[in-house]
Amino acid sequence: MSPQLWALAVAGTVVLAAACLEMFRSWRARRRAVGVTASPSSQPYILYFTGDGCTVCRTHQEPALARLNGVRIDKVDAIAERTLADRFHVYTLPTTVVMSPDGSALHVNYGYAPAPRLERQLAEARGSALRSAATA
Amino acid sequence: MSTGVVDHSALKVNQTGIVLTVLVAFVGSAFWRPALFLVPLLAIVLLLGTFAPQLALFKQLYFKVLKPRGIVKPQPVQDRPEPHNFAQGLGGVFLAVSALFIYAPLLTGDFRPGPALVIGLALALIVAVLAFVNLAFGYCLGCQIYFQLGKRGLIRAS
Repeated sequence: MSPQLWALAVAGTVVLAAACLEMFRSWRARRRAVGVTASPSSQPYILYFTGDGCTVCRTHQEPALARLNGVRIDKVDAIAERTLADRFHVYTLPTTVVMSPDGSALHVNYGYAPAPRLERQLAEARGSALRSAATA
Repeated sequence: MSTGVVDHSALKVNQTGIVLTVLVAFVGSAFWRPALFLVPLLAIVLLLGTFAPQLALFKQLYFKVLKPRGIVKPQPVQDRPEPHNFAQGLGGVFLAVSALFIYAPLLTGDFRPGPALVIGLALALIVAVLAFVNLAFGYCLGCQIYFQLGKRGLIRAS
């Protein structure tokens, strides 16, 4: 086998391993992200972790968040607010957390989350809030 | 923390240049081994461009040729250049290491393709894959590393 094919196999293995590791880290961080914030709301809201160095935040995430009409979005600088970022195990930017009205984390999206996904998660959050209110 | 305006078209031209150069070196080396000289050349271009933006070959190609002639439209985005420069420098370092693996056996007089050549080529390919991921999906691994280092206080990310 030529060195080029060997190199292709090695690079492919490394990239595949890195992708699997990234998926595992994302899954593990999601499981651990069960914090509550001290700022409850009457409606589900979004915690949006960003930073000055985050390009995807500006080019993709912020336009997606702008499409969510009437939703409260709490923008958090992940470097300045390190304690809050660590609470949600923010390891990449952007990270968006869909919060229930009582301030508990319902969905955590590591990396860019498109508007339809956020809308779906917000709808689920509204549904669970209504069920909680009905049973209370 | 201050933000400026970064022309993302310049970044995309840079990433395209990296991907194409590595691909030409990789495919070309299968037929003509000296084509691998493009790898150290690209490492030098990236490292020079990191420390002296006026020497960034692909970005200068964009600013001096592609943009004035309207071939590539500008895409100014409120952003900071530091993470992108860091990512470019990281790519340059990886390509420099790749070049060392490719050329070190030649310096010892061993002209047969061996494991060092495979490692060198694989490193160059990984740099190209990461540049492509950034170009196609907007995911910049170097920028994420920059953020993580800043978060841990290892570099001043402000």
